[in-house]
Amino acid sequence: MSPVERDLAHAIESLYARGVTDGLPVVPPTRALVERAVAASGREAGELVALVPPNYGRATVEKIAINAVMAGCRPEYLPVVIAAVDAVCDEAFDLHGVSATTNAPSPLVIVNGPIRGPLEINSGAGVFGSGWRANATIGRAVRLVCVNLGGARPGVVSMSTLAHPGRYTYCIGEHEEASPWESLAVEHGFAPEQSTVALLAADAPLGVYAQRSRTPEDLLPTLAASMAVISHHKMTHWGDTLVVLSPEHAKILGAAGWKKADVRRWLHERLQWPVCELVPGHNGGEGLPEHVLAKFAHPAAERAMIPKFRSPENIKLVVAGGTAGRFSAIVPGWTFSKGSNLVFRRVLS
Amino acid sequence: MHDGVFFEDSGIPVATVISAEFTRAARAQAEALGATDYQTVVVAHPIQPLTRDEVRALADKAFDEIVRRITA
Amino acid sequence: MTEYLDPTDSVAVPRKTAPRPASLDGKVVTLLDISKAQGNHLLDRLEELLRERATPKAIIRKKKPTFARPAPDVLRQEIVGATDVVVEGLAD
Repeated sequence: MSPVERDLAHAIESLYARGVTDGLPVVPPTRALVERAVAASGREAGELVALVPPNYGRATVEKIAINAVMAGCRPEYLPVVIAAVDAVCDEAFDLHGVSATTNAPSPLVIVNGPIRGPLEINSGAGVFGSGWRANATIGRAVRLVCVNLGGARPGVVSMSTLAHPGRYTYCIGEHEEASPWESLAVEHGFAPEQSTVALLAADAPLGVYAQRSRTPEDLLPTLAASMAVISHHKMTHWGDTLVVLSPEHAKILGAAGWKKADVRRWLHERLQWPVCELVPGHNGGEGLPEHVLAKFAHPAAERAMIPKFRSPENIKLVVAGGTAGRFSAIVPGWTFSKGSNLVFRRVLS
Repeated sequence: MHDGVFFEDSGIPVATVISAEFTRAARAQAEALGATDYQTVVVAHPIQPLTRDEVRALADKAFDEIVRRITA
Repeated sequence: MTEYLDPTDSVAVPRKTAPRPASLDGKVVTLLDISKAQGNHLLDRLEELLRERATPKAIIRKKKPTFARPAPDVLRQEIVGATDVVVEGLAD
């Protein structure tokens, strides 16, 4: 082995030995690489961005840069990574619960706005897949921050029974150019020329095939049936969840004059069931919790309707993916017990 | 675990009851905060599929240890 | 050898557990439900056992809004100001 090869092998192995990787090799965070990343952020190295639950490690610009370098980020990704870290540490995201739970959520980064262009953040074909450095490394940097600064070590503090592959990396762009509607960020009060990240504590995407649908009345019942089984088929009062519509599916809805609010309302109304169908032991052991059942004299005969989602606004719609293919995806949030909500941050660059 | 460490810091003895599968997580979390002598009371896992009476039986079994944990 | 910067941050500060009373006699005991399903049954039974086998001055029942987060500061302060010991559960 040449000295260069020896150094390289040592770097990779010593970082594994420190327990600071996600299982894949990381880029060794040398001082020069980290300084370059800090410089690209336009902020001071020592500036505190957030405290990362559950350990509340200090996410300074430099600590975030170290993890971003390790994840393979280019320096110019830093503003997006910093915004994403700031968002996951927002109280409303409940990273404490997300990182400790036996459930499977992982922070999903959804990028809106013009920064998708220069950073080449994929919002098109294969949007959840491999092959794009920005998506791959921005999502990975957020994960490394959660583990290295937040203490979410798998099997130690992070007790997820199954987890999912999004715990390596989970980052998409919205395909705004292929959408008939305003973007997710614009809907939430940002200007189209602003770049943002939205963070969702997200389960794995569930694909919905709807190839023969030509109208909203064809497509929406199909989507709703897949949304009905989020968590389990009798789960109710669910919170923020992402519906990722492919451009072809979005076009069906947009061309028929449906606004995002119409779609949300339709899905919310469709997804509700009478109490009698939600009693534990009827069609499965899961069901309404005791404190809800206690509100009814005879739950087994009760026809009052209980919705899957707390409100239509919990159904978050984005358009993403390739322009060919009539497939959408449901990305369930993690909303247990007043848990995690979708959190936005502007990307400052 | 954060609540328990907070109470101990505030001078209030705490017995935190956890199920056996979370022993390691509780220890790691306490140590990350510097609370190396923090002890929990462990009951058998799983809890969620148990009946009310089965959960109550866990309380009977753990009672003496809980009292020991918060007294000298 | 090249230096690699540390991606972690330790927030550990040395802590000691609180001094324990000799017994629960005359003490205020707070039973803190962390709001995980089933925990209430455990605490219900513990309350009965405390009344049978000890002579606490009072037993206070409190509940966190959710197990998925630390208790809100207001609740923590309320508990600290009114109790001698805490039993919390049930994390599973």
